[in-house]
Amino acid sequence: MRSTFKIGGIHPPGNKIADRSIELLPLPMTATLPLSQHIGVPAKPIVEKGEHVDRGQCVAENSAYISAGLHAPISGTVAAIEPTVLPSGKLCNAIIIKATQEEHDADTAVRELYWEKVNSRIPEFSLCDRYDKSEIIKLVSASGVVGLGGAAFPSHVKLASEKVTTIPELLILNGCECEPYLMCDDALMCAYARNIAVGIELMMKASGIKNAVIAIEDNKSEAIKAISAAIVSREGVALRVLKTKYPQGGEKQLVEAVTGRRIASGALPISVGVIVQNVATAFAVWQAVATGQPLIERVVTVSGDIPAEQRRNYMVAIGTPLAELPCERPPKCRSLLGGPMMGSPVVRYDASLMKGSSGLTILSGEGRKAPMQCVRCAICVEACPMGLEPYLLSTYGRLRMCDEAREHAVADCIECGICSYSCPSNRPLLDFIRVAKQRSRK
Amino acid sequence: MKENNLIFSPSPNIHTSRTTPGAMKHVLIALLPAIFCALYFFGLPALSLLIVTVGVSILTEWLITKYMLRRPATIGDCSAALTGVLLALNLPANLPLWMGAVGAVIAIGIAKMAFGGLGCNIFNPALVGRVFLLISFPVAMTTWPLPDGGFGDADGATGATLLSLVKMNGADLDSFSRLSFLVGDVGGSMGEVSAIAILIGFAYLLIMRVIRWYIPIAVVLGLVLVDLGCGYPIGIDIISGGLLLGAVFMASDYVTSPMTRNGMLLYGLLIGVITAVIRRWGSYPEGMSFAILIMNGVTPLINRYMRPAKFSSVKKEVDK
Repeated sequence: MRSTFKIGGIHPPGNKIADRSIELLPLPMTATLPLSQHIGVPAKPIVEKGEHVDRGQCVAENSAYISAGLHAPISGTVAAIEPTVLPSGKLCNAIIIKATQEEHDADTAVRELYWEKVNSRIPEFSLCDRYDKSEIIKLVSASGVVGLGGAAFPSHVKLASEKVTTIPELLILNGCECEPYLMCDDALMCAYARNIAVGIELMMKASGIKNAVIAIEDNKSEAIKAISAAIVSREGVALRVLKTKYPQGGEKQLVEAVTGRRIASGALPISVGVIVQNVATAFAVWQAVATGQPLIERVVTVSGDIPAEQRRNYMVAIGTPLAELPCERPPKCRSLLGGPMMGSPVVRYDASLMKGSSGLTILSGEGRKAPMQCVRCAICVEACPMGLEPYLLSTYGRLRMCDEAREHAVADCIECGICSYSCPSNRPLLDFIRVAKQRSRK
Repeated sequence: MKENNLIFSPSPNIHTSRTTPGAMKHVLIALLPAIFCALYFFGLPALSLLIVTVGVSILTEWLITKYMLRRPATIGDCSAALTGVLLALNLPANLPLWMGAVGAVIAIGIAKMAFGGLGCNIFNPALVGRVFLLISFPVAMTTWPLPDGGFGDADGATGATLLSLVKMNGADLDSFSRLSFLVGDVGGSMGEVSAIAILIGFAYLLIMRVIRWYIPIAVVLGLVLVDLGCGYPIGIDIISGGLLLGAVFMASDYVTSPMTRNGMLLYGLLIGVITAVIRRWGSYPEGMSFAILIMNGVTPLINRYMRPAKFSSVKKEVDK
């Protein structure tokens, strides 16, 4: 039986309309690497202005327990290390690398050869036997791998988890991709199922977890086929097809859908003996161990209200300016980094793509409709996957009633956007819940 | 905000196609069978009363928003029209038209707009209008016309085949039991007379997902529980009087009902129980309006204590 999470959830139109094949997007001439594109402490630059760097060379290292290194996505010269604007409009220190035409051409040739090799060779499971636990973790850490589902939590920390005394019993691979439009994980699972499978076994070995479940929603039949073929006769690795429902890719919802266990307020999946990783992260781990390529590229979906032939999945060098993703935007539109439910608005088009960017979604039109009075229809209460009362929390946020908001578990809100999405009176519920959440934080 | 031709707003950036005016329109559509039955059985007086209540409701709201609140008009959300229709369906068809107009003014002016308009009212406007009329003009409000249609077949309503379809209003419980099923010549409020028309509307609302089943079913259940307790014939009690109309269209009103499933179930159950208690032991023959209004007042209390089950309330219950 296909399981799913129990409380709330909605079925927004999936709009999985992009082409599932992965195309190599040409390398940029300039790459901008913000030092903080993961959760945790920003990376510490180890190169200086004017220094030459090679593609794949480490340019900033782990500076703390929870941190991740950065690698040059292109060869070139460090033009500057200065504050830059992130797509969201925030400022962050970044390493800016500029390439000459020769360097660019050489990189392009190397990159094409690399992907040709990856595509032509069948990855071997025996790879896992060649490395021991600490070697894998070291390689993952040295490659700057972070969770590619969006939160960008440094992967080696999750795998090693020094703070945990008992080894978790289950590794869940998140292949739900419940956001409308986004297809990057789907595309990756279809094209590199076996690489992902090997990556999973590497992760299992690194963390000492004996069982892994790959969770995919039932609207991705091709990915399900590919993954089940890749893990056939592999012990301890299972495929779990889940009923499609948003926000199944949310960590708490996913853990419940797969195991039936509920994570307490403010707790991590590890508290119920589970670790969750994205399937794209498994691929990045495989890349780091098998090919030695650090995390300098990722799959990005470009989709939305753009010409059909431009809705595609690209392998993009991290640091590529958003403007280089080919898409003809309609005159009045919203550009989002990520999907339409949780993606953040793109404020600057010259800002660059980061490790956690899974897609660029273009939506035509102004978006918001004029809000009406709340008619207390209770749709938001029924749909909230955390079992909260969005109408109430939103009012608390509007009136700055922080104590009441805290009392009603505003901190549990995962900002999935369901309340604002489903409000028939067009009320911006989540906006005010965010206010309540921030202000009630102690 | 705009920069480089980009419009940005925080997530989510897509929105459901459902709208509040849309929900109101669906309820109006769901009321069509009941309206049709009312017109069929009661003819022209019903039509004119309906037109008066709807017209006065809309006019009252428009005048208040324009001249008293000085706000943009809200009649476009269809809620005033809906209140007018519901009010008419809760009145005897032969009620003098000016009384219908008074009811509409009270419903919109006092019960709805004085509290701040749609979404802010505590009590169901149409029911406040009805109860105001019931208390002010008790005779006119309990003189039920015979169901012979102005443009329907006058004799059709008395036929035995209509027994199941036209279980007459139990507004006068004594006469109802005296007549025991010979309901051919008993009238009722315009919208109450056909249980089937109301159930068709209920099915439509469920299919269009405008309302959930919780409240209407709980109302009936509450009534059945009391009936079982005192040995009253259940079937007649359910389809007589305003119970079904109230359960499907009035008790389930978004604004005045609780916000959680359990809250809705409790609310509905208590409406059913109070209705049965008033019908059995109260001085009024019919208790649905009062039951709903009483529970409207209890709704904030229910909201306070009946919280939704939180995802994280179970602290590691299955964790070994």
